[in-house]
Amino acid sequence: MIMLPLILIMLVIPIAALVLAILMNGTKARKVIIGSTLINMLITLSIFVSSILSGSVSISEQYPYISSFGVYLGFRINVISMVLLIMSSVVLFATALSGNVEKEHHKLSSALIALFQLAAVGLFTSANLFVFFIFWDIGVIAMFFMINMLGSANRKAAATNFLIYEIFASSMLLLGIMLIYFFTPVHSFDISVITSSAALIPAGKQSLIFIVLFLAFMINMPLFPMHFWLPDAHTEASTQGSMLLSGILTKFGAFGMLMLFAMLPISASYSVYIAVLAAVSAFYAVFLLIHQTDIKRIIAYSTIVEMGVIMLGISAGNAFGTYGAVFAMLSHGLTVALMFLLVGVIKHIFGERNIFALKGTVMKAPYTTYIFIIGALAMIGFPLTSGFIADVLLFIGSVQAFGVFGVVPLAALLLMGAFLYYVISKSMLSSKEYSKTVDYVAIEQKIGYGVLLFFIFIYGILPFAILNLVKI
Amino acid sequence: MFQIGVYLFGFIISCIAGLIATGIYSYFFKAKRNGFILSAALLILIAIASSYLLVINYSMVELGIIRIYPFSLLFVALFAIAMLLVNMLSYSNAKDYPDLPLLFGFSFIGAFAVATAVSILAVFVGLELLTITTSFMILLEGKHRIEAAVKFFLLGSISIAIFAFALSMLLPYDGQLALAAATINPNITGILLLLISMGLFIAAFGFDTALFPFNLWVPDVYEGAPTNITAMLAGFNKKVAFVAMIEVFFLVFFAYRSSFSEVFAVLAVLTMFFGNLVALAQKNVKRMFAYSSIAQAGYILVGIATASQLGLEASIFYIIAHSFMIIGAFAIVLWLESKNIKSIDDYTALGSRNRFAAIALTIFMLSMAGIPPLIGFAGKFLLFSSAISSGMVLLAIIGIINSFISIYYYAKVMNSMYTMKDEKKIKMDHYVMVVVIIVVAVVILFGIYPQPMISIAATASKAILGVS
Repeated sequence: MIMLPLILIMLVIPIAALVLAILMNGTKARKVIIGSTLINMLITLSIFVSSILSGSVSISEQYPYISSFGVYLGFRINVISMVLLIMSSVVLFATALSGNVEKEHHKLSSALIALFQLAAVGLFTSANLFVFFIFWDIGVIAMFFMINMLGSANRKAAATNFLIYEIFASSMLLLGIMLIYFFTPVHSFDISVITSSAALIPAGKQSLIFIVLFLAFMINMPLFPMHFWLPDAHTEASTQGSMLLSGILTKFGAFGMLMLFAMLPISASYSVYIAVLAAVSAFYAVFLLIHQTDIKRIIAYSTIVEMGVIMLGISAGNAFGTYGAVFAMLSHGLTVALMFLLVGVIKHIFGERNIFALKGTVMKAPYTTYIFIIGALAMIGFPLTSGFIADVLLFIGSVQAFGVFGVVPLAALLLMGAFLYYVISKSMLSSKEYSKTVDYVAIEQKIGYGVLLFFIFIYGILPFAILNLVKI
Repeated sequence: MFQIGVYLFGFIISCIAGLIATGIYSYFFKAKRNGFILSAALLILIAIASSYLLVINYSMVELGIIRIYPFSLLFVALFAIAMLLVNMLSYSNAKDYPDLPLLFGFSFIGAFAVATAVSILAVFVGLELLTITTSFMILLEGKHRIEAAVKFFLLGSISIAIFAFALSMLLPYDGQLALAAATINPNITGILLLLISMGLFIAAFGFDTALFPFNLWVPDVYEGAPTNITAMLAGFNKKVAFVAMIEVFFLVFFAYRSSFSEVFAVLAVLTMFFGNLVALAQKNVKRMFAYSSIAQAGYILVGIATASQLGLEASIFYIIAHSFMIIGAFAIVLWLESKNIKSIDDYTALGSRNRFAAIALTIFMLSMAGIPPLIGFAGKFLLFSSAISSGMVLLAIIGIINSFISIYYYAKVMNSMYTMKDEKKIKMDHYVMVVVIIVVAVVILFGIYPQPMISIAATASKAILGVS
């Protein structure tokens, strides 16, 4: 069998879709982007299936770029990047298919989704820090325009805020990458080369690199003192923007964190402080979350809670923690995209997002409401959903690394679950009075729910499909 | 091979003579269209011929005063293209276009003299020629330009005077004033007179390249000049001055690199911060780009401050990159100015009024802010890498912080451009459109695949330092 350059194909498809989307009119552009995300999802799933059959996954491709600087466009797919590719391709497909609940600016949103798709594929498959940085910034710029041009009333301020935080992060990332390049004895951008030779860097320089890169990824994730851009960005973004922002963009930072902890040996000595920071971040966000009345803001804060928990798993540094974090990224990406889609539909149907103004949605929009309940359960890690596997692995890892205290952040998740129960009972399940409906749920949104739910359950019921590959 | 080189050199010289002849013809016969076509064709020929010589790696001193080698050929080609773009911008916008080709011709001679100089005197004459012709160009459109023209002329004269003073101090040590390191005895480092001369050179070039303490003329002149000439000031004159600076410091004073490196590092930091911080407060887009181009000069200086081959390569790359980006940005500003759209508030809804212009301006601004995969990112990456590799980590950090600051004022323009509002569409002028398309193509293509331009910059930098 001839080996196709699958990663190159997955990168070329969004570029072609971008060009076509710019040239075509709105409805055709929408079809193009649905097609391109669907093809990428099928390619990713075929990689997944073949990895199950062969028991391992390892694809790498390399293309010449700036040869005088030793920069190659290196791509690789290992288990972590495959899991994140599956997550991102599913979320992108669902976003392209059903995210445009508002049914406006088809052309613009299609072009920006194509650009973001390019960024997601490139970033999650990068084997090279230079490539990582390039796709990081493409993703940030695509997301900036998605908020800036497609969002709601206060989108300009939110988008500028987002851009300033994210560009600061990417400046730090660039600095960190350059420092790594010149401080490693071999002068390389290749992640595996750096990983094998990073122990030779003196501890002081390693700490400098670690702090700079940690700051960059922390802003993107986001963790507690750097999270201020996130609630506004989500509230003002369109449904598609929120789905991609929370589902995929925040994973850029988490993916970077995983890479950073695997790369620099010095990171182990900071892990306790970072775990504390992660726990503080989760609790801080959950205490803000329980004061929100806007469902979209609630889901936005839940992202910070989840990212704090994911950071806890990464900082544990052991196999359980790391793969728990990876699984949590998969699970959170799918669930949060589903939740934002549901919130977008609810806003569209009832014209309202305030939990005190929404009444009895179950009578008018039963599908949406029941799936909201399932989504909320998946979010707090209910058995049979992928979130359960993620939390189990992650907290085992955390307890292994930090002792009994490692399990404390679970309380943040449970508190979030309790508040989501309150939200559901307060605004959705009451049968005495109803909110007025403005519109109905279209079939494409229902397909979107179906796709996301399918993957949430498939990885909840059959987690061994992935876990067999890593053998923890 | 040798034969072709000589013929092509003769061809370039005759093309330059042709530029002057075209200018005279255009001036006396008021031949707007023919003057434009002839001068554009000659500039294209010069660019092609010098690129060809660059590709075959031709290197020779011709006529005893013109040094043809990769460095000079690269910049002759760049200046020809930049001048061509400015020429196109001027064609449909300048009121007295027939007067311009002659001035363009003389400016090009000045730039050619600087790029191919064998002695510092040629640099001196070239810069002087450029300054004087440019001040006439600023003046052409009428009386309201006098303020800008006089400011530019006075500051240019001061810079020339300082330059002459610095030259005179160099004379006792090097009677020929040659642009070559060998003639200065490296044993006499530490001689006060030479250090003073070097300081004066920094001041003289500081005026022309708008480094921090010497840049106060820039915003007024840039704003006061007709925008096609502003594009020329930022994309052509400033780059000529940078070339002169590189020649003088990397050929004559290279033995003193530890001294000038520190001075340039400090100036780079001050220039970047000044440009970016003041640009934050601007309401007028043209003025904002004027301050942003000051900051960009600071980035270029980062590479020069490292005083290494890598740094020089990065600076050359960024000089080329910024020359294109700023001409493209001012092209759009020029066209919008003719529609009476000037301040950031006026740019509201440009995205729905003319989508192409908005996207192009966005690409230029993102490139200037250093967002990949555009040419500005490749340039900044090289610049800051060179700073780190020479051990100037702090300089690189400050540079990166500055490119982070700059995103804020570009974001303000973008925010205002992409406010959806249906107003009547505005149509872009054809000549402006051609310029913008060329620049967008350069910014994107060399941003995605910078390797060819990096290797050309490496060849040029190695040629000037005499390493292989």
